[in-house]
Amino acid sequence: MTTELIHIRAIHKVVGYLLAIEASVLALCSLIPLYTRESDMFAFLASSLITACFSVLFILFGKNENSRESLSRRDGYLVVVLSWTLFSLFGCLPFIISRYIPNFTNAFFETISGFTTTGASIVGNVEILPHGLLFWRSLTQWMGGLGIVFFTVAVLPFFGVGEVQLFAAEAIGPAHGKLHPRIGVSGRWILTLYVMLTVSCAIVLNICGMGFFDSVNHAMTTIATSGYSTRNASIGAFHSVLIEDVITIFTFLSGINFSLLFLLFFKGKIGKLLHDTEFLYYLGCTLGLSLVLGIVITANTQNSLRESLHLASFQVISMLTTTGFVTNDVYNWPAPVYMILSVAMCLGACAGSTTGGMKGVRSVILFRSLKNEANRILHPNAVLPVRVNGKVVPETTRQTIFTFTVCYVALIAISWIIYIIAGLNMSDAFYAATAFISNSGTAVGSFDAANSFDTTLSWDILSTGAKWYTCFLMLVSRLEIFAVLLIFTPAFWRKA
Amino acid sequence: MRIVIAGAGDVGTHLAKLLSGENQDITLIDDSKERLGSLDANFDLLTITASPTSIKDLREAEAGRADLFVAVTPDESRNIVACQLAHSLGAQKTLARVDNYEYLMPKIREYFTSIGVDSLIYPEMLAAKDIVDGLRQSWIRQWWEFADGALVMIGVKLRDNAQILNVPLYTLGSGLPYHIVAIVRDNETIIPGGSDTIQAGDLVYFMTMRKSIPIVRRIAGKEELPDIRDVIIMGGSRIAVRAAQLIGDSYNLKIIERDRARCHRLTELLSSRVMVINGDGRDPSLLVSEGISHTEAFIALTDSSETNILAGVAAKRFGVTKTIAEVENLDYITMAEKLDIGTVINKKKIAASHIYQMMLDADVSNVKCLTFANADVAEFVVKPGARVTRNTVKDLNLPRGATIGGLIRGHEGMLVSGGTQIVEGDHVVVFCLEGMIRKLEKLFN
Repeated sequence: MTTELIHIRAIHKVVGYLLAIEASVLALCSLIPLYTRESDMFAFLASSLITACFSVLFILFGKNENSRESLSRRDGYLVVVLSWTLFSLFGCLPFIISRYIPNFTNAFFETISGFTTTGASIVGNVEILPHGLLFWRSLTQWMGGLGIVFFTVAVLPFFGVGEVQLFAAEAIGPAHGKLHPRIGVSGRWILTLYVMLTVSCAIVLNICGMGFFDSVNHAMTTIATSGYSTRNASIGAFHSVLIEDVITIFTFLSGINFSLLFLLFFKGKIGKLLHDTEFLYYLGCTLGLSLVLGIVITANTQNSLRESLHLASFQVISMLTTTGFVTNDVYNWPAPVYMILSVAMCLGACAGSTTGGMKGVRSVILFRSLKNEANRILHPNAVLPVRVNGKVVPETTRQTIFTFTVCYVALIAISWIIYIIAGLNMSDAFYAATAFISNSGTAVGSFDAANSFDTTLSWDILSTGAKWYTCFLMLVSRLEIFAVLLIFTPAFWRKA
Repeated sequence: MRIVIAGAGDVGTHLAKLLSGENQDITLIDDSKERLGSLDANFDLLTITASPTSIKDLREAEAGRADLFVAVTPDESRNIVACQLAHSLGAQKTLARVDNYEYLMPKIREYFTSIGVDSLIYPEMLAAKDIVDGLRQSWIRQWWEFADGALVMIGVKLRDNAQILNVPLYTLGSGLPYHIVAIVRDNETIIPGGSDTIQAGDLVYFMTMRKSIPIVRRIAGKEELPDIRDVIIMGGSRIAVRAAQLIGDSYNLKIIERDRARCHRLTELLSSRVMVINGDGRDPSLLVSEGISHTEAFIALTDSSETNILAGVAAKRFGVTKTIAEVENLDYITMAEKLDIGTVINKKKIAASHIYQMMLDADVSNVKCLTFANADVAEFVVKPGARVTRNTVKDLNLPRGATIGGLIRGHEGMLVSGGTQIVEGDHVVVFCLEGMIRKLEKLFN
């Protein structure tokens, strides 16, 4: 037993293994330029080599430590925050080395925006990027979709006891029941589902007329609900209602709790899904918001109601799941629509999915608590519990959720102010704040309307300081606020 | 019959007393000397201070030679283990008290038999069923079904507005869709003949068919009573939980419970349509603010019989039409009746009568020990060549204090008149004064 608080060697060892995965993934990416004969092959090989070197160094440093025994809860949080940061750091190497994004700040921004599935791009014209870099962008999102650590730990079979601490630190939304007594096995099952969803999405997109390379990329960013596209005009570039519908369906699926999806697809348990409070809420939000938006669009444009509903459902699901895909039409819509979409982004979809935002279960608990408060005025002596799925939510969980919500709203407010200081106007600053805090990354504001050709917003307009703040914000909200804030508290570093 | 009862709690003690009056050989065991008290000095039974789950102690109590082993300690797993042990020692039949309604499901039945537990009893569930029956037909004080409802027996308190008061019963005519089997007047049970009359304030037991219930309701003058929508339960006991779960969605239910921690537990046990209120159900201002004045039913289920009776009386003052009170203290039952509590629930009696039923030698599938009347209702299956098949009913010379209420032939319920001929295989429902069941058995075997 070691007496130290933070097990430095164990952390190094775990992070080393995680980086080894990134190094091998980077090496895999170099195969694409090999096929397309583009200029970015050297960049990938060099990045892979550098990452591998650091990986080996880390592993060697932590060699004498048995990580199975000594990874504590604290270490878990530290490893998660460290690995997200390091992954983004090494992940931006290909952009810099290939000189397509020479600026370090921009490259880092692009990578962390990928890993956190935010999908806010620095690159104005993505179509000039070589295929390898485009694929790497999509891949960062795909790895980040379920969580970098989740992804790597599920891939590596030799991870031991530390898994529990790592998964807890990276959890998406309030904890859900395990699928299997061993968390590593559950992780592998979820990963299998994730891969199968992605493959089927790619195949369907390909059938619907999207090219092979585009299908694969869009499938990855759809299932990860992240929103990087290989086209400047995002999904709008394909001018296909069919493709939009396919993306809508797959994004909706990815917004559902993966444990429930697993039970549905692999165990045939549809009842569990249909009785899940959060799923019903998610479904209700989707239908309700689509209807409202559809009516607003019909009233304000020349579209028929059917067209409007198609556009509205695509956009609502894209925003609710914080994917951030857009179609061309978005920029012709009236301003209140952006507000609806911003709210949708912040609410988010289901916990345990690849989405960002507050997550449905938190909203449900908040709304029900609110209802209870009203009820308490009428019945002062009543004991009013909040139930989710028929089970009473413990008081401590509610407290955590209240605190989370307060932090979340405060972060929106702070970010709003910071973006105003950084030079955006009032409404754009608000859209930017909500886009980053929800890991949606698509802000549809006035600042893009001028550029009718290039509809994907380039975040290059932000100042360097604002960009670094944004990187921090994306990471904080992807790790659900507390995980990152925790390591900045003195108590985290204090003994006992 | 040798009967070993493990657990000298409410149910066990009551059962032991009841059975010792029946000339059975009762051994009552419990690991607490205090609980056994001076039972063996006052009643004709043997008490042994022993653990129901100790093999040595069970041997000492001769559980292996018992015809019936009854485990009624408060802990269900202990009861099941005790039954298994007794069974393996050689007990003929075993019965365990449980707290989990899953165990009562027919599918599980075989499993319990295979591990040596022949019967299960869940007193809280039985009590809850009684409560729900009481709410469904709020003008009825007691309700009992035979053969899945082919025949029903209902007890109704008649007031001044009933249509059959003060006339001899024979003037009501024959071929009626109901049969009056008993009258309880001033704590006295009368098995009525044709010349008896019914007076206001009597509790009258009708035997009838399901389809004729509205007729009984009309002649009893109960048609104008409102149907129940809002229900308040005072005290979040286990019976309250079971009743709330059984009641279904048809009522607005509030449970008032004093203990805050228990309130939280209740919210976990119950669905969201039940409102749990933390407070004292005896506090009139709380009751008023929770709308007692437009509540139709008030059910008092706290641990204290006195509280329940008084709260029931208070609820009547607020205009509640149906009151139900759990009265565990047997001596208070008649008092509760005098104070006009609608239905009295007694867990011990319900459980004991349920167990008692198992021990009847004849093929009796139902015996209900009525709380108000010193009377039993029993359902007999007529065996081949039984004495009742030799004559029509009027020539049977039934003992005094017994009357045949009706019979079920095939799946059809029918009422019995003087000229009815009972045949083999009929299920005959008999209403008789307490302790007469064994005499009647001879008629049917």
